[in-house]
Amino acid sequence: MLNYIWAGLIIFSLVFAMVYDVRDMANDTYRNGDPLPVVLSFPESYDSGTRRQEVTVSLPEGVFNEHYGVDHEGDLEFQGVLLQTTDGAELRFAQGIDLPEPLGTIRSHISRRENDLRGPVIIAGSDSTSAEATVLFNKTRFLKLTAISQAALDFAETAVTLAIGLIGALALWMGLLRIAEKSGILYSLVRFTQPVLKKLFPEIPEDHPAFGMIVLNLTANMLGLGNAATPLGIKAMEELQKLNPTEDTATNSMVMLLALNTASVQIVPPVLLVAIMGLQINQLFFSILIVTSMSATIAVLTAKLFSRFKKHKATDPMRIKAGESEEVK
Amino acid sequence: MEFIRGFIDVVSVFVLPAIIVGFPLYGLIKKVPVYEEFVEGAKEGFNVAVMIIPYLVAILFAIGMFRASGALDFLIDGLRPLMTAVGIPPEIIPMAIVRPLTGSGSAAIVLDMINEFGEDSILVKMAATMFGSTETTFYVLAVYFGAVNIRKTRHAVPVGLIADGAAMILAVFVVRLLFG
Repeated sequence: MLNYIWAGLIIFSLVFAMVYDVRDMANDTYRNGDPLPVVLSFPESYDSGTRRQEVTVSLPEGVFNEHYGVDHEGDLEFQGVLLQTTDGAELRFAQGIDLPEPLGTIRSHISRRENDLRGPVIIAGSDSTSAEATVLFNKTRFLKLTAISQAALDFAETAVTLAIGLIGALALWMGLLRIAEKSGILYSLVRFTQPVLKKLFPEIPEDHPAFGMIVLNLTANMLGLGNAATPLGIKAMEELQKLNPTEDTATNSMVMLLALNTASVQIVPPVLLVAIMGLQINQLFFSILIVTSMSATIAVLTAKLFSRFKKHKATDPMRIKAGESEEVK
Repeated sequence: MEFIRGFIDVVSVFVLPAIIVGFPLYGLIKKVPVYEEFVEGAKEGFNVAVMIIPYLVAILFAIGMFRASGALDFLIDGLRPLMTAVGIPPEIIPMAIVRPLTGSGSAAIVLDMINEFGEDSILVKMAATMFGSTETTFYVLAVYFGAVNIRKTRHAVPVGLIADGAAMILAVFVVRLLFG
């Protein structure tokens, strides 16, 4: 199933990006190649010989709306500079100013780094304080196609940052758990909790350390200790993997542990939510508790139910192993 | 009730120091060479983090692309009739769909909703309850299975998504019952 979801995400991204970009082109949303008429006014008098001049760019409401086919209310005025270069004059809007759509999108496309909307300008008629002019922006197209490839690269980087960020917490908890194993404290935990957990994880043999790791993981989850819960969950997975006869296929116990973690019974709300909601979180204590306990129950039940399906039974590593050893006999 | 809450709050603060100090202390009593064993165990941390990377890259970049392409918005629109049919208010739908995909994305949605509807609104309570009562399923899947190199996930994805879906619907009804 994950294969299909994964491929689906990627394929649909491409399809949607293309549809979106083609629609933009068909609608000519950004009026590529069509110069925008503006009025420039000069605080100091206009002089075509000066290399750099401060200007105020005015865009009357009617002109702007007609050009881009939008409904913006009110006349627009922006600060900017007029540069005289050997290739002609260039108009640069001030950096980082608020721009109405679609100018904002055009800016982020053609001048991502400098963050100033810019383009060659042709001055039609001028007197000493103001000039009629038209400004042409670089073509804005294939926005979404650019965006998805950028997103793919960005998120690949984010993934590595996230994984690297886990190293510290992982090392700390792996170290502590090793002490717990060697000192026997984990064994007491196992014996104390296995009567209950045995029902959820029937595949785990009696007195196996996996029970201890699972309990610690679930406790950390309940208490909203996300930083500790992840390493403990990973450690529990490692213990389950030791029992797994295959290398790459999840056992029923693994799916159950994952279900319990995604449905995450929360007694203390997660830190991030507390940060967002502030004091309001106090009111949500019970609603979260009720919902998580119910959804965790549903998760456990569906995990049990799905493991009985023929399709999943056929791929159960434990079952396959049992079958093989019988054949050998 | 207040007492129980206070008690839980205190426990959640004390449990970490208790474990971090308690495990080595108990080990010391049991004559375990605690420092040596700690370092031996901690070595594993780096390898596990590196093992996770390919799985996390695979999941996150696909979700990132999906979001950037505008397909996510389309999915939200597409599922709108179905979600409204089961009683989920239309304003909550983005949250319900984004939650299993990205943690940061769904946190941003809660923030947006607070700005739009105010902290006290029942819609924000529903969204926050959804946020608090489920995990970012695909992230958990990548990290937990990635750490032990499990690629064939069998029924893990459907089970996780069903649990998420149940939590979304329950959040709406429980919040309505408690605050409506």
